[in-house]
Order: sequence, then structure tokens, then C-alpha cells
Amino acid sequence: MSGISTQIKLPIALALACLPGLALANADVAKLTKDPNNWAMQAGDFANQRYSELKQINKDNVKNLRPAWTFSTGVLRGHEGGPLVIGNTLYVHSPFPNKVFSIDLETQKINWKYEPKQDPSVIPVMCCDTVNRGVAYAEGKIFLQQADTNLVALDAKTGKELWKVKNGDPKAGGTNTNAPHVFKDKVFTGISGGEFGVRGYIAAYNISDGKLAWKGYSMGPDSEMLMDPDKTMTWTDGKMAPVGKDSSLKTWQGDQWKIGGGTTWGWYSYDPALNLMYYGSGNPSTWNPTQRPGDNKWSMTLWARDVDTGKVAWVYQMTPHDEWDYDGVNEVILADIDVKGKKTPALVHFDRNGFGYTLNRKTGELLVAEKFDPKVNWATHVDMKTGRPKVDPKFATSKHTAADRGPDINSKGICPAALGTKDQQPAAFNPKNGKFYVPTNHVCMDYEPFKVEYTAGQPYVGATLSMYPAPGSHGGMGNFIVWNAGTGKIEQTKAEKFSVWSGPVVTAGGIACYGTLEGHFKCVDADNINKELYKFKTPSGIIGNVATWSHKGKQYMGVLSGIGGWAGIGMAAGLEKDTDGLGAVGGYRDLKNYTELGGVMTVFSLP
Amino acid sequence: MRTEKNRLRVAVLLAAALSLPGIAQAEDPPYKVVDGNKVDTRTLDGWRTWRALACERCHGPQQQGMVGPSLIDALKRLSREEFNKTVLEGRPEKGMPNFNGSEQVTKNLDGLYGFLKGRSDGAIKPGRLEELKE
Repeated sequence: MSGISTQIKLPIALALACLPGLALANADVAKLTKDPNNWAMQAGDFANQRYSELKQINKDNVKNLRPAWTFSTGVLRGHEGGPLVIGNTLYVHSPFPNKVFSIDLETQKINWKYEPKQDPSVIPVMCCDTVNRGVAYAEGKIFLQQADTNLVALDAKTGKELWKVKNGDPKAGGTNTNAPHVFKDKVFTGISGGEFGVRGYIAAYNISDGKLAWKGYSMGPDSEMLMDPDKTMTWTDGKMAPVGKDSSLKTWQGDQWKIGGGTTWGWYSYDPALNLMYYGSGNPSTWNPTQRPGDNKWSMTLWARDVDTGKVAWVYQMTPHDEWDYDGVNEVILADIDVKGKKTPALVHFDRNGFGYTLNRKTGELLVAEKFDPKVNWATHVDMKTGRPKVDPKFATSKHTAADRGPDINSKGICPAALGTKDQQPAAFNPKNGKFYVPTNHVCMDYEPFKVEYTAGQPYVGATLSMYPAPGSHGGMGNFIVWNAGTGKIEQTKAEKFSVWSGPVVTAGGIACYGTLEGHFKCVDADNINKELYKFKTPSGIIGNVATWSHKGKQYMGVLSGIGGWAGIGMAAGLEKDTDGLGAVGGYRDLKNYTELGGVMTVFSLP
Repeated sequence: MRTEKNRLRVAVLLAAALSLPGIAQAEDPPYKVVDGNKVDTRTLDGWRTWRALACERCHGPQQQGMVGPSLIDALKRLSREEFNKTVLEGRPEKGMPNFNGSEQVTKNLDGLYGFLKGRSDGAIKPGRLEELKE
């Protein structure tokens, strides 16, 4: 700063304060996402809204939609995530081996293809599916988070590798399935491996050279989590208060936090005005809760971190001492909505545990926590003063919660199942009516924990699960719902035969479009989701997310099909006991009557 | 004609008995089971190993196969040597981990084989097992 007098320093500081983001390196992504002709991030924008202003395809003409072109990735296994579109180019990825294709929208010709060489020994550690949730773009670079934890920057024009950095250790069970996210001048990534005793973290790398800027763990010493005991806040007795010293260490027995899980493989969001990034941390390891007494902080937690430094502004733990694998990684959607009659800078999160949470994203205050599936039974409610769920001991699986529970005891009829009322499949926000469109699972389980020992690189699970469609309901395994996050009420429900494992897109054309496990791409009326306006059977089951863009004045919608992921696998577990009669509706076996493996992107347009 | 046929049958049976070590094993299965779910200690430890290493995530809770192949079928085909090699060294390109790093697996390999063979033979039923009191 030498050479600049204080007189000029002040106006510069003021200018920076007024224009957060714009003056900094990555105005690029901000600009690209503002233009609805692009689909420049996996969720379309920083706020994870999955909303598009495009309305050429609308509720009146969507019935005329038809496939315009298709593209095979040449890979079997589960295809999650979706394409990006920037200008004249579409970028799409595949599951392991994590190919990336750049496609010319004019000719549908492949500009370039990138296929990394990865050690195949990473595949079993990803057991049981080798999904990848897509690439990120910024400033002429494509970012790919490979399964083997290498984060790679490619030249978006040529596909040439610009830099590569190792983000984790597959030998110790660390792998990656998440999409990288670019906020400002950094690319953010996390880690998978909660079932291998990996300790989760968020890492920020400079987009320019791949250098690690900061890394914040989900648990452990304050310094490693980047927490300030006096400044990091959390919901305490009905108000925000500092977390205090060793807030994580105090909630674990001995050194268990070192293999404590809390992985970070979801979708992240960013508020440029507050300079904060948001995400959820996953389940504590192992799945046998009796083995790890305590709240196991800060697993199962919503986080707000300073984008530049990683410093934690606030945390909120949703499921202390998890007993059901209600992995808290689901996306955090940022939206300014009415909460109980008051305009609020909110964040909304649909957790695996079946509660839809609304918090003030600036302060971290808990505003709403209500069930987004009426079948949820493991907790009666969330105590709004303490912020803790009131667990029903009938559905506990831990000795520390109920004396008659613990290892080798099968707890039955727990709703939701471990795959949650919603898994990673992201929801959408419709700013036109302030409502959320949520793809959900409608599945319950029996859960039998057992004692396990930790060996590095070996599974560290510790529970046997049996999953089945929610009993006493419509017999299906999923619902597509409309949620009011201001009141915590389900406003509309559309029953689905299988889990809805596909992120919808909602548009200004008044439609919501999503995929189903049978392989249908559907568009429904955003005002009445039970009004199915369009349906097309794609080549395989859909676990990918819908994207929309426009090229040369014409609007398109695109989605990956390719069954797999936990949706495919999890359903299989639903048939463990055909005899127990809880829900032998056919589950996965039935799914086989609709679909086979194989990755294809289908692109739709009006004639 | 009739004698010819009988002679042929005997020959086929003899050939089968000589070339298929499985028949000898069938008389002495590598597991003990009563009522489909009470098994000897070694087999019980094999089942516990199956559970602890989360094998069901790929091979299915009833060993019927999901992302990984059916072990009901595979154990009819695999020799004991092939079984050991597959479990210990894995088939990484196909998604099968190498479990030679797990003490639980190396210690309980016989029991694991016995448990899976019993499932494949249909003698052991799916689900939870108990210790056979002898």
C-alpha cells in the first residue's frame, strides 16, 4: 500500500464495499449467469435456485416439445449433474472415468474430449456407484473434480490441461463425486468417504494456478475448522451466541473426530453481498451411533463461511448424534422470501432427515423447521428454542438415546430411510410465487447397527439397512412437492412411483421440468404440478438435473439419463425381506421393467 | 440297447465324480447349518465379516447381486483358489476392492467362504444368523 495516500485509499475502499464481486477477478461467472441464454453453473446461478427467465417454452406450448438431438457419453453407471452452456458451446461430463465433452451447439460436433487417466482402484472405494455431478466454468477454464480427487483446470477452448491438484487420498477412502463451484477468484470442492472414516472439509483453490487458498474441516480443533470461538455463532436458547472454545472436540470421545466423517459432497451456494458461501456437512462415521457418544459436532451441520478466508460466520447442527445416516450435504438455496409475514434474506435447505429448514442467511437464526413429508417419524418436531430435534425413542438406534437400542438390535419402521426424504437431487425456487419445487423420496427403513473397527481404506459403515416404500401411503417411493418455506407447509404433492432423483428447473414460462427413475422427462404446470403437460421416455432412468438455455433465439432443455447412483442401488435394498410385508411393491425389481444402464443426454426444443 | 444306456450313465457319473471336486465337497460342506439360520462359529464369523465390510452394498443384502455380481451364482462357479484371490486381491477395474488390507477378512476367509457357499447352496437362509449350540 505504500505510495497510495490515505486520501485515495478511502474512496477505493468505499468503491470495493459498494460493488462486492464486480471489482474482483470473477465478475465473469456473475455476468454469464445473469444472461438466461447461458446455463453457466450447475444450478444456473450462485443462489442454487435452478430458475430460468426463459419463457419461449411455456405452459401453453410445452405439449409440442420434442427431442432436438441426443448425445451418448459412452459410459454406463449413474449420470448425475447436468450440462453447462456458455454461448455457442455445451460442456457435459460422464461418471468414471470422468470424460468431459465440449460440443458445438451449431453443429453438435465434438470440439474436444478430455478423458483423464485414473487409477481404477478408486472405483471400489466409491462403492457402489461412480457418479460425478458435473463441471464448472470460469474465465475460459473448465474445472473437473475427478473421482480420484484430482481437481483439474482445462482450457475451455482446447481441452488442454492447465493445472491439476490432488485434493484428497483415495488410499484412505477419500474420493470425489461433487461438482466444483466457482465463487469469486476461487474454485471450491469437498470430499466424499463418510463410509470410510474420512474427515470432511471444504477446500478453496485459486482458479488462476490451483494453489490451495484455504481448507476448513467439519470437525476437530477450532483452528482446523477455521472457527473463531468468540465470533463464530450458533443458535443457542432461542438466539445466536458464540460457539465457544473446542466446540467440536468436546462432542467426541477421544480421537474419534479424526475419522469422524462430516463429508462435503453436496452443492454449494454463494451470496456476493454477504461474501459468504453455504453448504451442509454429512453424517458422522460410523453408522453405529453407540460407538461414538456425543453430538459429533459439526457433522450434519449447515455452514456459512467467508469466501476469501474460510472463516466460519455461523453453524447450525440439524441432527446431533446421527443414528440414521441422515447425511446433511443437501444444497442450500438462497432466496429473499416472506417468512411468517416478514421479508427475509433466507436460506432454505431440505435435509435428508425430512425437515425443511429456513434460516436467516445473514445471521444464521433458525426461523422454520417443519417436515416436508408427513410420514417423517424419527423426530416429533424440532424444538425452536434449542434447535434440536425431539427424537422418538421408538425409532432410535443408539444406546445413548434409548436404553433398549444399540448394536445388533433392529429398529423398524423408521421414516425416512437413510437416503433421506431428499438426497442430493437439488430443489428449485420459483421467484414468481416464492415457492420451492422439491424432488423427494418416500421411503422408510429398518436399521440394525453393529460394532465395526476402523482400518484405513476399508469400509467403516456399521449398520444393515432394509428400505421400502413408505407404509400406509400411495405405495410409490417418491413425491414431487411444492413447499412454502415461509410457513413450513407442503402446498402441493404429486405422487411418483419411484424416488424423484432429478433436479428440476422452473422457468418464467410457468413450468417445472424434471426426470424420473423410469426415464421420463416431464414438464408440469408450475401452478398445478399435478397437471402433467409433457412427458417423454428417455433412453434410461434419469438421476441427472435439468438445464435450460437458448441458442440463436431458440430455447432448449437438456437432461442426462443413465440410471445408477444410490437411487438405483438403494431401491434394491428395498426388497430385502419380501416377507415382512411392509412394502413389497416391487421396488427395484420393478424398475428393471422400465430401464437399463447407459448415459445419454437428450436435448428438447419446440418444433 | 438298455445295457448300453446304463453303461453310458455310469460312465457319465464316474466322469463327473472324477472331474468335479464339488461333489466331494458336497458331502462335507464348509459350513454347518440347522434350520437355515443357526450356523457354526466359523460361519457366523464369516457372516459378521460380510456385514462389517459392507459387501451388501454391491452384492445385495441377499447376495443376489446389484452393482456387483450375484454370489449365489458365482459360488457355484468359483474354485476356492479363485474365491480367495478375488477377495484378497480384488478386481479393481470391475469395482471389487482388494480386502487383503482388512485383518477381519484375512482372519475369517474360511468362514466367509463357508457362509457364501451356504447361501449359494440354498442351505443358509438370507438375513440374520445365530450361533449353533453343539
